[in-house]
Amino acid sequence: MIDETVVDLSRLQFALTALYHFLFVPLTLGLSFILAIMESCYVLTGKAIYKDMTKFWGKLFGINFALGVTTGLTMEFQFGTNWSYYSHYVGDIFGVPLAIEGLMAFFLESTFIGLFFFGWDRLTKVQHLTCTWLVAIGSNLSALWILIANGWMQYPIGAEFNFETMRMELASFSDVLFNPVAQVKFVHTVAAGYVTGAMFVLSVSSYYLLRKRDIPFARRSFAIASSFGLASILSVIVLGDESGYTVGDIQKVKLAAIEAEWETQEPPASFTLIAFPNQEEKKNDFQIQIPWALGLIATRSLDEKVTGFDQIIPENEQRIRRGIQAYELLQKLRSGDTSQETRNAFADLQYDLGYGLLLKRYTENITDATEEQIKQAAEHSIPRVAPLFWTFRVMVGAGFIMLFVFIAAFIQSARHRSAGNRAVLYACLWSLPLPWIAAECGWIVAEYGRQPWSIAEVLPTYMSASSITRGEVLGSLTAIIAFYTALAVAEVYLMLRFTRLGPSSLGTGKYHFELPANKPQAQA
Amino acid sequence: MDYETLKLIWWALIGVLLIGFALTDGFDMGVGMLLRVIGKTDMDRRIMINTVGPHWEGNQVWFVTAGGAIFAAWPMVYAAAFSGLYAALMITLCALFFRPVGFDYRSKIDDPRWRNLWDWGLTIGGVVPPLIFGVAFGNLMLGLPFELDDLLRPSYHGSFWMLLHPFALICGLLSVAMLAMHGGAWLQLKTRGLLHARAQQATQLSALAVIGLFVLAGIWLLVGIDGMHIVDIKPLGDKLNPLAKTVAYGNDGWQANYSAHPLLWVIPLLGILMAAATWLFARAESALVFLTSSLTVTSVILTAGIALFPFVMPSSRDPNMSLTLWDATSSELTLGLMFAAAVIFVPIILLYTLWCYRKMYGRVTREYIEENSHSSY
Amino acid sequence: MWYFTWILGVLLACLFGVVNALWLEVTENMDRNETEFEE
Ligand code: HDD
Ligand code: HEM
Ligand code: HEM
Repeated sequence: MIDETVVDLSRLQFALTALYHFLFVPLTLGLSFILAIMESCYVLTGKAIYKDMTKFWGKLFGINFALGVTTGLTMEFQFGTNWSYYSHYVGDIFGVPLAIEGLMAFFLESTFIGLFFFGWDRLTKVQHLTCTWLVAIGSNLSALWILIANGWMQYPIGAEFNFETMRMELASFSDVLFNPVAQVKFVHTVAAGYVTGAMFVLSVSSYYLLRKRDIPFARRSFAIASSFGLASILSVIVLGDESGYTVGDIQKVKLAAIEAEWETQEPPASFTLIAFPNQEEKKNDFQIQIPWALGLIATRSLDEKVTGFDQIIPENEQRIRRGIQAYELLQKLRSGDTSQETRNAFADLQYDLGYGLLLKRYTENITDATEEQIKQAAEHSIPRVAPLFWTFRVMVGAGFIMLFVFIAAFIQSARHRSAGNRAVLYACLWSLPLPWIAAECGWIVAEYGRQPWSIAEVLPTYMSASSITRGEVLGSLTAIIAFYTALAVAEVYLMLRFTRLGPSSLGTGKYHFELPANKPQAQA
Repeated sequence: MDYETLKLIWWALIGVLLIGFALTDGFDMGVGMLLRVIGKTDMDRRIMINTVGPHWEGNQVWFVTAGGAIFAAWPMVYAAAFSGLYAALMITLCALFFRPVGFDYRSKIDDPRWRNLWDWGLTIGGVVPPLIFGVAFGNLMLGLPFELDDLLRPSYHGSFWMLLHPFALICGLLSVAMLAMHGGAWLQLKTRGLLHARAQQATQLSALAVIGLFVLAGIWLLVGIDGMHIVDIKPLGDKLNPLAKTVAYGNDGWQANYSAHPLLWVIPLLGILMAAATWLFARAESALVFLTSSLTVTSVILTAGIALFPFVMPSSRDPNMSLTLWDATSSELTLGLMFAAAVIFVPIILLYTLWCYRKMYGRVTREYIEENSHSSY
Repeated sequence: MWYFTWILGVLLACLFGVVNALWLEVTENMDRNETEFEE
């Protein structure tokens, strides 16, 4: 019997480490392109200030990157340590993008980042610029492959169950590669990364402008960040909408949860702006709705319906019942009865096998499940609604606020008055946390909304965990939290220190704290 | 290409990745080990760190990619090994956490306490992972107490402390000595003066330790440890799962492959010879020292791999459930696809990695650090 | 094909960043040391 506490602790550990990894990832994704833009300007204009910009923002990039790598290491091995049955069950498919990510992306990114930092005197301008672009491309390719893997967990196409090896096996690599979920997920997520990078540079530059420090340096950074950021936030929002559309098409459960759709509405469905979902009674305690909007967003039509939980749960119950039969047939096959007849019967029902496995949580022996247990499994075949409903709205809200901030910043800079309006500068400064908040909320929507599955409709989370002890998971969880907290303190400390110092930290002698007038305050 | 050949190729490719990891990340871990031993002043240590500064990041990817490749090619091994050796792997990861931050953050603040802290971090990040990998290899020879249930869910029936068998500890020490030697050899190429002289000494000492430990482990293995062999298995090109074969003890000291192909004895022999050559070249201040220490590392790893072949993870709890390269592997399509990816990308990776090393060629000196104190580590 | 959109999109966004900076370099004195707002 699997220990439920081990499952829950492993989930907690995965959620914490993944969310933590994703504090550093988006900045890497976005800042690497901004560095490439700055250095391109240097090569095109020959102005030294662009080189200083590349170096200074590159320093901050390095501080962030170090933790991105540190936290990524945990992720790479965590599937084996905590999700060993998962690793066995889908490794044939899931391992492929992970391995290709190493070969194609990590090597590229990590080799050229060495040259980015250490190669300034050893490479020609154009060679160095090429390295910078390769770092950016490498980190984005790594996002590509990991999100193909992650997209497959949401929508596992291109794979077949094999009863001889008792696992899912790859059937079509191109299906996995061109998985529609993976595609929109990738573009939405990397664009979110670009927004993060742009917001970071915009915010810090606004701080210098407000402080009237290193103005030529800050003005240029501000201009680049506002233009790149504007393009990016527009993509995030457009592609977020596309994400919603794809979700509506493929993951009806998730859409219903995001929208707190307890009951199927007559098309066109209205969009629930605010509500207090009540899981027990399967209704919203309070809600404000906008007529027609959901139908338009989710189905792009006025006559297709958006399925609510009142239909989803009974459907799932049917699939659980078929799943029991599928499991029976599987046992027959594995005990040696591999007649064509049994094979055909199993082939008909194999797509419901995962639903049968949902029962493992309630009974050791799936084939003996009681009515009670089947009902219970069906009830729990949907995620909790309230957290999804709210995190989704926080993400979208943050997205629209940032849209206005980037528009205002871009207009200022295009009107040749980067520092024209202090209110805008303050808005930029205080918007700093928004992209992180939005991105973390986005992951919670995507991952928590997939529960109770680790591989949608194929493998329940409960089954995926390793046979390890509570003590082991508690130990690792404690160690990871302790380490990550200490590392976070060091990283934030360095980040703050170097953003305060600004370009003076380069030691060129040209910047604020190095000028005779400001010397007394100078730090190390 | 047929399935059986693909399975064999993937055994070789995983070997290539592990050896690539030991050769590249190995020397920067070696530098980490020696950091506090031969780096007496802050300047010494900065020089040492900056010799690996541009490279450690790319080197570490060998490790990450080996992890990903094991996941893709041997999912069952990835699942059983990392969940079974849970505590050991978590300790390794925690030790590895120190490296990226240690390298990058150490010199950003000019405070002896801060720097000292990260120096300890880099030392731990250099010593602990090779130690644990060595111990793990030793335990593979002894067999690991795991089994599989009828759904093929692996479960492990041992504890962390059980891994610390004396034979396994010798393997761990061997691994540490080997990488210390390799790191020392690297430092001889990249430094001058006093530091260079100390690196020379360290390399010589560790080369002697490698010879001693390698011979000791070999004798212990041959005399005291019973290996396994496959008695009966379905055709190797079939879709197999690890529950359908018979395995028995009675392969004394895992030497059956060597007895069957006596030419293979060259490999362990080469391990000893190359370590001796490393001692000699270190003494003679020859640049060949890095070549011979690389060959030592390669031979030692190959010696263990050949002994275990075709086993990957022998089970002491139920030898029949041991994982081998024939039955713990991915489907034919996956192996073929991954092979294609490796054929395309590995040469490209080697090409740009070499370019990077060539561009950064040359010794790191005190003057260089002083001139670039704001941009170097 | 969203992957294709991404390649085009990210190139355009970067180009937008570069061109914007270069355009400001030509039309504005980016090196001036004062801000437009008063304390
Ligand atoms: C959308 C992007 C994204 C997502 C969802 C993930 N990662 Fe990540 N990862 C990156 C984007 C990224 C990156 C941008 O490429 C990083 C961040 C900083 C860095 O060094 O590279 C990185 C670093 C990084 C590293 C260190 C690479 C090195 O040594 O250079 C590893 C091993 C992983 N990741 C593994 C994972 C795993 C196993 C994940 C999922 C379970 C995962 N990452 C989610
Ligand atoms: C870095 C970005 C990611 C974040 C922030 C994230 C977030 C989360 C969260 C919040 C959970 C907990 C859900 C729950 O248990 O209630 C979770 C679980 C999980 N996620 Fe993700 N995720 C990320 C990327 C990925 C990727 C790329 C993969 C696969 C490659 C993945 C695979 C999993 C798995 C296996 C679990 C555990 C099983 C489960 O609870 O479903 N995650 N993740
Ligand atoms: C403003 C409009 C936005 C909409 C309509 C939107 C829509 C969505 C949807 C529907 C998902 C879930 C996809 C899934 O479950 O598979 C999602 C996920 C996500 N969102 Fe957004 N989003 C918006 C803004 C943002 C912003 C501003 C950010 C960050 C800067 C962001 C970052 C993410 C991330 C990181 C994920 C998880 C990865 C994924 O599943 O794609 N989103 N978004």
